Amino acid sequence: MTQRLLLLLVAFGLIFGAALVAPDLADAQPTAIDLRKGGATGPSPDLHPHSDLVEGSGKGLALLFWAFAAATVGGALFVVTRKNLIAAVMGMVGSFLGISAIYMMLYASFLSVIQMLVYAGAIMVLFVFVIMILNRPEDDPIGRTGRLGKVLAGVAILYLFARLASLLMSVRPLDAASAAAVPPPVDGNAWGSTKAVGIELFTNYVFPFEAISILLLVAVVGAIAIARPLRDDAAQEGA
Amino acid sequence: MLNDVFFNVGYGHFLVLAGMLFVIGVAGVVVRRNALIMMMSIELMLNAANMTLLTFSRMWGNGSGHAFALIVIAVAAAEAAVGLAIVVAVFRGRRHIDVDRLNTLRS
Repeated sequence: MTQRLLLLLVAFGLIFGAALVAPDLADAQPTAIDLRKGGATGPSPDLHPHSDLVEGSGKGLALLFWAFAAATVGGALFVVTRKNLIAAVMGMVGSFLGISAIYMMLYASFLSVIQMLVYAGAIMVLFVFVIMILNRPEDDPIGRTGRLGKVLAGVAILYLFARLASLLMSVRPLDAASAAAVPPPVDGNAWGSTKAVGIELFTNYVFPFEAISILLLVAVVGAIAIARPLRDDAAQEGA
Repeated sequence: MLNDVFFNVGYGHFLVLAGMLFVIGVAGVVVRRNALIMMMSIELMLNAANMTLLTFSRMWGNGSGHAFALIVIAVAAAEAAVGLAIVVAVFRGRRHIDVDRLNTLRS
């Protein structure tokens, strides 16, 4: 029952989002998006300290945000609550698609595509492979706790969320001037594009980039070394 | 007021969404006992961190957050590879991946 409900939520979020995008795509015109809204000239920055360009882009985009946020949170809940591992992975894929769309709304187009390729593509396929290898769809899902433990856990989670949300919400841009200084001068409208991220990565962050390549190499070798069959296993199979 | 919250989507909405995602991930790691589900929950938490990075990057008009997010994604991929290898190795020896029963080192 709850599974159907969650599935419906995710599906509704994705379909609703797609239906909202389609007309926008139909009459899309290459107008430059004004990235400086919400700054000194924006509408009442004191009243809405977090107001951004999404506000200026009409109600359609707000609805789109809610649809994809619903897909994201619904998929995440699906992951945590499902007993069936394959169902959990599918919820995860829905969640990642929603996150990818959310990144697009943050004007991080390159990261959005990378999210889709790496997470929804590669990592989820890896998870599905491992689940197929283990071939154990059902297990006792949730740790043994009494009602008191569940209540305590719920209260703790809610408290964590409240503290986290209040902390995150309390962050403000430096001042109106720096908020108006968005974006840095990268090729007109190219905030968050491949070019902008590439310039950032190969000028300021060359060392982390190279370190990541070494980390990936070590991870590949380590994964093979760990997952390799043990020697006595191989001997048993040979015997 | 409600209309305002609903249609005036700003940075705060993205941040609260990221917080929700992170909390769901924490709940998954704490509550579930299946190692695979725990790893998926860790991925959810990493995604929440990425979302805050991108939001703050946008908020401050600084592109560094995008580079950080890319590096976080790479680290997450490496972590998934090694973690899944460990899960496979554990399953091969014990025929289960219930983390509550993996207590050999305890005594």
